[in-house]
Amino acid sequence: MTYRVSVDIGGTFTDAILIDMETGRMARSKVPTTPDDPARGFIESVDRVVQGVKPSQVSQAVHATTIATNAIIEGRVAKGALVVTKGFRDILEIQRQIRPKLYDLFFDKPKPLVPRRMSFEVDERVTPEGTVLRRLDEDEVRRVARALKREGVESVAICFLHSYVNPAHERLAEKIISEEHPDAYITPSHRISPQFREYFRASTAVINAVIMPIMAGYLSRLEEELRVRGFKLGLYLMQSSGGLMKSEIAREKPAFVVESGPAAGTIATSYVARLLGYNEAIAFDMGGTTAKVGVVEGATPRIASSYEVGTVASAEIGGLTKGSGYPLRTPVIDLVEIGAGGGSIAWVDSGGALRVGPQSAGADPGPACYPRGGKEPTITDANLVLGRLDPGNFLGGEMRLDPSAARRAIKDRCGDALGQDAVETANGIIEIANESMLRALRLASVERGYDPREFVLTAFGGAGPMHANALAKELGIPRVLVPPSPGLFSALGLLVTDLKHDYVQTYLSNLSDVDQAKAETIYSKFEKSARSTLRGEGMREDAVSISRFMDLRYVGQSYELTVPVPAGVLSDSSLASVRGRFHKAHERAYGHATPEEPVEVVSLRLSAVGSIAKPRLPEVSKGGVDPSAAIVRKREVTLPDLSVEECGVYDRYKLKRGNVVTGPAIIEETDSTTVLYPGYKAETKRWGFLLIQPA
Amino acid sequence: MNRVPNANIGRVRKADPNRLERRGSTRILDPIRFEVIRSALNAAVEEMSVALARSAYSTNIKTRLDFSCAFLDRDQKIIVQAFNQPSHLGSLVFCVPRAIREYGLSNLAPGDALLINDSHRGMTHLNDVCLITPLYSEEKVWGFAANVAHHVDIGGRAPGSIAVSTEIYQEGIIVPGVKIVKAGQVDPDVFKLILANVRGKKEFGGDIRAQVAANKLAQRRILELIAKFGAETVDTTIKQLYSYTERRSRLALRDFPQGTFRGDATVDDDGITGKPIRIKAKVTIDEDRLTIDLSGSDGQQKGPMNSTFAQSFSSCAYPVKALMPPDIPINDGFYRVVKIVAPERSVVNCSFPSAVVGGWEVGVKTTEAVFRAFGRAMPESVPAEGKKSMFHIAFGGVDPRDQERYVFLETIAGGYGARSNKDGPDGVQAHFQNTENSPVEELEVGYPVLIERYELRPDSGGPGRFRGGLGLRRDYRFRDHVATVTILADTAKFPARGMLGGLDGVPASFVLNPDTDEEVSLVSKVTFETRPNQVLSMRSPGGGGYGKPKRRGRAEVAEDLLEGKISSRAARKIYGLGDGADSKRRGRSGRGH
Repeated sequence: MTYRVSVDIGGTFTDAILIDMETGRMARSKVPTTPDDPARGFIESVDRVVQGVKPSQVSQAVHATTIATNAIIEGRVAKGALVVTKGFRDILEIQRQIRPKLYDLFFDKPKPLVPRRMSFEVDERVTPEGTVLRRLDEDEVRRVARALKREGVESVAICFLHSYVNPAHERLAEKIISEEHPDAYITPSHRISPQFREYFRASTAVINAVIMPIMAGYLSRLEEELRVRGFKLGLYLMQSSGGLMKSEIAREKPAFVVESGPAAGTIATSYVARLLGYNEAIAFDMGGTTAKVGVVEGATPRIASSYEVGTVASAEIGGLTKGSGYPLRTPVIDLVEIGAGGGSIAWVDSGGALRVGPQSAGADPGPACYPRGGKEPTITDANLVLGRLDPGNFLGGEMRLDPSAARRAIKDRCGDALGQDAVETANGIIEIANESMLRALRLASVERGYDPREFVLTAFGGAGPMHANALAKELGIPRVLVPPSPGLFSALGLLVTDLKHDYVQTYLSNLSDVDQAKAETIYSKFEKSARSTLRGEGMREDAVSISRFMDLRYVGQSYELTVPVPAGVLSDSSLASVRGRFHKAHERAYGHATPEEPVEVVSLRLSAVGSIAKPRLPEVSKGGVDPSAAIVRKREVTLPDLSVEECGVYDRYKLKRGNVVTGPAIIEETDSTTVLYPGYKAETKRWGFLLIQPA
Repeated sequence: MNRVPNANIGRVRKADPNRLERRGSTRILDPIRFEVIRSALNAAVEEMSVALARSAYSTNIKTRLDFSCAFLDRDQKIIVQAFNQPSHLGSLVFCVPRAIREYGLSNLAPGDALLINDSHRGMTHLNDVCLITPLYSEEKVWGFAANVAHHVDIGGRAPGSIAVSTEIYQEGIIVPGVKIVKAGQVDPDVFKLILANVRGKKEFGGDIRAQVAANKLAQRRILELIAKFGAETVDTTIKQLYSYTERRSRLALRDFPQGTFRGDATVDDDGITGKPIRIKAKVTIDEDRLTIDLSGSDGQQKGPMNSTFAQSFSSCAYPVKALMPPDIPINDGFYRVVKIVAPERSVVNCSFPSAVVGGWEVGVKTTEAVFRAFGRAMPESVPAEGKKSMFHIAFGGVDPRDQERYVFLETIAGGYGARSNKDGPDGVQAHFQNTENSPVEELEVGYPVLIERYELRPDSGGPGRFRGGLGLRRDYRFRDHVATVTILADTAKFPARGMLGGLDGVPASFVLNPDTDEEVSLVSKVTFETRPNQVLSMRSPGGGGYGKPKRRGRAEVAEDLLEGKISSRAARKIYGLGDGADSKRRGRSGRGH
């Protein structure tokens, strides 16, 4: 018998699952996150789920953590320094020279993670062609290194101009600094992100540098706690890109695990959608404070090549509010995130319009219906007033909700000003919240060139299944999939994630002039390194698959698109096919292509995936079409047209495979509630998935 | 609250709430539908922006986001605007109605679009090119989609179309409103004619295609919206949206101090005569109406430092929007509340055929003049003067690496003015300008220059209880070739002024062969040729300080010194660090930053 355990630490809850790899039997845990010491929450969760299992039987622990993000957002980072080319000391101060908000006269630029006094210039210069114009002043580096040691700097980033094309000076500087200050962690920028555009590379290197000591301390703590409990397992971390990385590697490259938390939901979506026969899926994850949307295309999650960490939360979306965070050039699951969650507050503005969010009541005090003294009406309160939530069965009955408090909050804070009663107002709150989620869904799909009607919408997170039916109806999405235990879906995602390593190198050349031998050398170097890394992580050769990509643009553009390169040695024909794919990708992303224009290669990329054995998922027993055995009670539910109907409330755990519930209906389980609209039906499929379709 | 030590202050009194109640406090008929349609309109215009940014060619539009999108109703009133560049606030308000009136709506059909850049027909400078697409629902005109984008070159005397010109004819091709798209297709003849006149042909072609694509997307979204809610509901909601904005704007004005307040600002010169140009602004807040009167500003100039009315309008609208609650949507309702007066043939409302390419320099000063006026009314809400120059550099020539002609243009940020509770940020764009820098590596790969320094200018921020932001220094070496360089900037003679005892920032300077024996200072508006490998150092101004420097918290002075943002001399002489009064002050350092 072997087991795997996953621990997903989110902002509100720490979720854990232990799965029996042969039977798919799971033990689950959901406990409040311990922000003061996340390691404690990790260990407690593991202790809860492994009861009755011998530690030696657990082969792997997979972990999604927000430790890096939190350290950056809260500014609790290690004492770092930056060494740069002479003349560029202020790279972190100047940033992009823009303001995150146009009309805010009291804005602040993000405070550099390394202060100006810890930015050191050394004389050296390399041209964009890679030629050394001025040799590195080694004595100066040595002097700087001694100063770093004196200052007690723990971690150093090095970023020299054009090091992506010629890293010799960064390597030499690294050597000198490690000689003078052997205890320091060092991140040369070309190693973490060998791509041009110096601020973004420097920012990536600096983020890596200032979280390295923190990540190392955290991982050592986890490993030690696991060791004393007798575990002999491998500890793996979820990367922002949606692939796993062994903890030893995460220590070196913590920049790759900064967005560890949100990635797993999209990975889980791609896995289960494929199991059920869908290659195109939209992952819709709605929790307490935000909703996130990711796209799965051809059974693969959409990946972006950069993002900003620590951006100021705002209702604005669409990628146009740059400059409020720290840019990071590592692959990341492409998510559109908006401030609409169960705790989002509804309010009436001075012009008499009803608004929802972006303020959130959070978990404490939480919605007005929680027994914690909250006074503000939220999306959760609106769902309760409309009868979509059961006051006595929230979180499996652990917390009793107060419908009269919800009604009062909605009426007093919104309804009175609008001249509407509580129910009408609650319905409006849901409609307005849905509209902003539609916006996020559209941006993630239509705006990226996908027709959502060809996708299956996978809804999870505590609040996702409550809104998914309405959203699918609006967008014309014909199918909605609700996994069992939607609130723990991300933790499940961790258990089906493969190992993955990504490589990139800026290589600027006209596509028709690509030096095939040179490009091939770069790809082979990546591949060799990837295979050896995966071998070190215990992967068998035959479980490894390699994919090559190129970042391309039309000559003169300054945005790139990533396009897959056919497997095998580069050739004229594979480059021709790359060109064709680029035009197609451009057409999809931007609505037009110009095949007669010259195309330019910007970067070469390679992804190496080490496929892990997937657990079996637990089956549900078969039954007939009739679901009535699962009805536990009836409840009055207000429908979107404000009519009130006595709806069947179904216990999800009692539904059998083949059962078809007809809407309107409510399907309840411990960690979530699914709302089924009139005109829709929900069929229980294999492994207990609900498939919602028009009746 | 700070006292205003100025005799010029207006009478501060409160608006009469009873009188206000009578005007336009209607209730929204269906608040749910209202908010849903409003969000959908916002989403549509935002999608338009994303589409335009993504598919454009030039860095200017793609990464510097120098464009704006809007929907207008059938009377060409603004319904919703997504402006990445507030300098376009006015363009769309004025150029669309005029273009439609002059061209004749009956001469347009579904699938057509008009192109216009004529500064004297409601636009700003020729580089700003506007595409207007009428939107039809059931064969009737429902409204318009419009976008304005800043093209990197539109022809004219010098690369980037910026030069010290004296007539608009020298500034590039003038497109007065012509049908560029006919029945969904770009007219090849018109396109060819324009293309023949511009330098960056690839960029121009790609950017125009992106503008066309953005309006096409807009058309689709509007039709979807109408199909979902019905044209009548959408139209009613839009009318309510106007009154909603009007109502909220009036309510916001009610909280402003009432009275008349004056401000001014000075442009160094017009690049020809060498004489300073005065901008005057008189802001009157009367109950719930706001008038900004620019009368008394100097007459129109010989050089290109002239602002069109649209430009001045944007310059005045920016401070108003910035001082109002940020979530008031901008549409016709906002424009009903704000009245802007600018005398004809003046530097803030120039007439044909005056040169206008430096009009944005007048525009940023107009914004400052209006802020100065508001600063007298509510000094705690307004920052001290900042960079107050767009600070352009453009250069071009033949790249010695591949013998191809090239053009490049960028703007350099500077110090932001200090605020009543914190320092002005260093090296950042101010007010209606928010264009990104070009990454040095990308610039060096694409163009034959090496950037030798890109750094903050220590001591350039105006000292004060809160310090003005630092200006920037960016040094260009033109590699192995002769480049034609144009500097079009300002704030070299009249620095950013401090506020309430804060000192001025350090002005801009432009230096050839810096840190050598052949160091030469240049003026702020000039076109010249470099020698191969010559270095030009652009130094942008620092922002003004706020409050007296001696009142600055000792910890903040020490921190600035440690960070190398001020010199030890400044710490001692200006801030008095280390003098006897220190121990007394230590207890009450500034309100954090």
